[in-house]
Amino acid sequence: MTKFRVEITKGEEIRYISHLDYARTIERALRRSKLPMAYSEGFNPHMKFSFASALSVGVASQAEYMEVELKEPMDAAEFSARLARTLPPAITVCRVKEVVGKQPALMAIVNLAVYHLAVPLENKDEVERDGINRAIREFNAALEVLYVKESPKGRREIDVKQYMAEDATVTVGQEKAEIMFSIRITPQGSVKPGEVLKVLVKEFQFPGKSEAAVITRLGLYVEKSKTRFSPLEMG
Amino acid sequence: MVKLEASWLDQVTKPARYTGNELNMVKKDLLAVETTFALAFPDVYEVGRSNLGLKILYHILNCRADIAAEWVFAPWTDMESIMRENHVPLYTIENMQPVADFDVLGFTLQYEMSYSNILNMLDLAGIPLLAKDRDETHPLVIAGGPCAFNAEPLADFIDFFVLGEAEESILEIADTVISWKKSGRQGGKSGVLAKVAAIGGVYVPSFYTVAYHEDGTIANITPNHPAAKPMVTKRIVEDLDKAPYPTKPIVPYLDVIHDRVVLELFRGCSRGCRFCQAGIIYRPVRERKPETLLKLAKEIVDNTGYDEISLTSLSSADYSCLHQLVGSLMNQFKSQGISVSLPSLRIDSFSIQLAQEVQQVRKSGLTFAPEAGTQRLRDVINKGVTEQNLEDAVSAAFESGWSTVKLYFMIGLPTETDEDVKGIADLAYKVLNLYKTIKGRRGAKVTVSVASFVPKPHTAFQWFGQNAPGELARKQQLLKSLLRDRSISYNWHDVEISYLEGVFSRGDRRLGAVLLEAWRKGAKFDSWSEHFKYDVWMEAFRQTGVDPEFYNLRERQKNEVLPWAHISSGVDRQFLWKEYQTAVAEGFTADCRHGQCSDCGVCPTLGVEVIDWEGKA
Repeated sequence: MTKFRVEITKGEEIRYISHLDYARTIERALRRSKLPMAYSEGFNPHMKFSFASALSVGVASQAEYMEVELKEPMDAAEFSARLARTLPPAITVCRVKEVVGKQPALMAIVNLAVYHLAVPLENKDEVERDGINRAIREFNAALEVLYVKESPKGRREIDVKQYMAEDATVTVGQEKAEIMFSIRITPQGSVKPGEVLKVLVKEFQFPGKSEAAVITRLGLYVEKSKTRFSPLEMG
Repeated sequence: MVKLEASWLDQVTKPARYTGNELNMVKKDLLAVETTFALAFPDVYEVGRSNLGLKILYHILNCRADIAAEWVFAPWTDMESIMRENHVPLYTIENMQPVADFDVLGFTLQYEMSYSNILNMLDLAGIPLLAKDRDETHPLVIAGGPCAFNAEPLADFIDFFVLGEAEESILEIADTVISWKKSGRQGGKSGVLAKVAAIGGVYVPSFYTVAYHEDGTIANITPNHPAAKPMVTKRIVEDLDKAPYPTKPIVPYLDVIHDRVVLELFRGCSRGCRFCQAGIIYRPVRERKPETLLKLAKEIVDNTGYDEISLTSLSSADYSCLHQLVGSLMNQFKSQGISVSLPSLRIDSFSIQLAQEVQQVRKSGLTFAPEAGTQRLRDVINKGVTEQNLEDAVSAAFESGWSTVKLYFMIGLPTETDEDVKGIADLAYKVLNLYKTIKGRRGAKVTVSVASFVPKPHTAFQWFGQNAPGELARKQQLLKSLLRDRSISYNWHDVEISYLEGVFSRGDRRLGAVLLEAWRKGAKFDSWSEHFKYDVWMEAFRQTGVDPEFYNLRERQKNEVLPWAHISSGVDRQFLWKEYQTAVAEGFTADCRHGQCSDCGVCPTLGVEVIDWEGKA
């Protein structure tokens, strides 16, 4: 049995598909590749592959991570080439690394996600630019920011700040504001980048429409004693 | 080109419905081809993406370097509001090109309750709804599919209909459009209509005049144009085995209705169920060879990565080489974790054995369609299934480990009495008890699904007056009162939708005004119960002065000129009338597939024959 850790993208063209759709797309690409995939035992065997973290509808990504198990040994470069051939154009294989020996699952170790949000400017004037900078400054300075998560399972109040790994940064350009921040992924939960933006608009009068933001995940990391590693650098 | 804003897509459910870019999509330079087709499914993406007919046409058209075909679906109501608010016209999802820029806009007519969506899509595209208001600067708006066999309610809106299987006629149409464009659109729109009218299977409704009697029935339907044929006969593919098949179908990202390899074993079904329109309009039976099917399956699996192959046909268990085919498919694909599924099962133990074979990989419930609750009524509809058949099939299923059975029935069939309705409940209990007898304990789950019968054109029951909604509702309640066991779940259809379907399925041109009025008042997505607005439709009938019950509840006379009198499926009207009389007399008509010709007329009319590979393959 061979296990690979794979860094892949979720391109602009498929920004609007869900995590489940994305997983199904990868599964079909793996099947088309005719790679010797490992399957689980049982009456409904399923292909052995898993993701580090789910990605929301509307969010593209420069670096997602998955683990794929093969039933036969294979060279990482060959695996990478064969998978790349069958992936749709919107998904690219960036790097592949073989997982040697027993290691904790990706999902258990990834604990940080970095996002980039492009928010189009409305008025493109100084008032708007100042408002943006002020909102980010105040958000960074706040000790606690409450946000009510509404889902089919009910309402839940969370403190957004507990998930912010560091201060958010912003660059206001001619046409758009570009925000970057890092969010912690914890066993107790996390917050979505779109929710952070909603809080900025609602609680900090960030001038702009949260629904107009174009969100991209720049990377997923394993943070260990203040140092960030790519999941491919672990183990 | 249409550009969608992030802020719009952020607000709609399932935005991937509108963004395209699926695997195997064909994206051509629209300026570099001779003609362009927009293939439209008048319902939401997840329903339309599964349609085999349009997939075939997309494949055939795009195989030609000089033609481009692109897809378009009805946007869901949330997206529609955003599009209207922001003046975004209806667009195809390949090149995001406004539909109005295409040469041909083709709709598939799968069910009557999608008609209001056609009007809505034309409007969203900025195309005048009425054919008479459009000229050569607009796309030719065409339609095909099963409902084209009585397309009269759409006659005001559609330039021409394409009857039957369009594998060949679609290219004849494309070539006609290409040469018309090259001639500088000679004769304008009527020029091209006169040319396409000569193509077999093409029906140009404006080339016919309908005259009415005082009582509202039709006096005659006569051609008013030299190019119009007195009778338009459907087209079929003579040799299905050689017909093109999409082996590189689009693989959707979203979870659509039929998200698997669709392998079409054969066309047609000659079992002769008298309520069934498909059984008439797809005649005669023509099979693909098992080796062709195996080859197609391999190619499609390689090109899509699907993990399930669905053996699709009107009655797949009737495929003459089914055992051989299933065996070779299992052999080929089992090790790759790919399963084979049969969407419909015949009611006999052969089918159970087969279901058992294919379900070695995956297991689900079994579905049977006895259609009627008593032997008498099953004889009326020529279902050809006995109580013993059902008992044998269900017993075999329970013995092989299944415990979930779904049974499909209809109410409102001709000659039906309350005894027949009670018979449905009796059958459901019989199935439950069989399980207890075989397994020695309770534990079976039976679902009884009951549709309301809607008489369809080109069937033996095309003359029959549909049950009134009150009567259907009474029968539904009667059945409900009889199905009291917790192991039986019971579901039924909205009688108001069946009522309207009954009007449009056998309607004539005068319904065009009703459709237009209902759409103006907001009718759309009528097949979705959350959107169906019965009051709006009733108001539209009142305002236009059209009596719906003239169309659905009235028993027609033998010699009445039916609105589809000039449209031929190849089956003789005399045969259908004889079948109606035999039905009432509870008589049996045999399946013609194995030598016993029932003289329906389709083979001599179309100059074709039944193709069954048993013993030949």
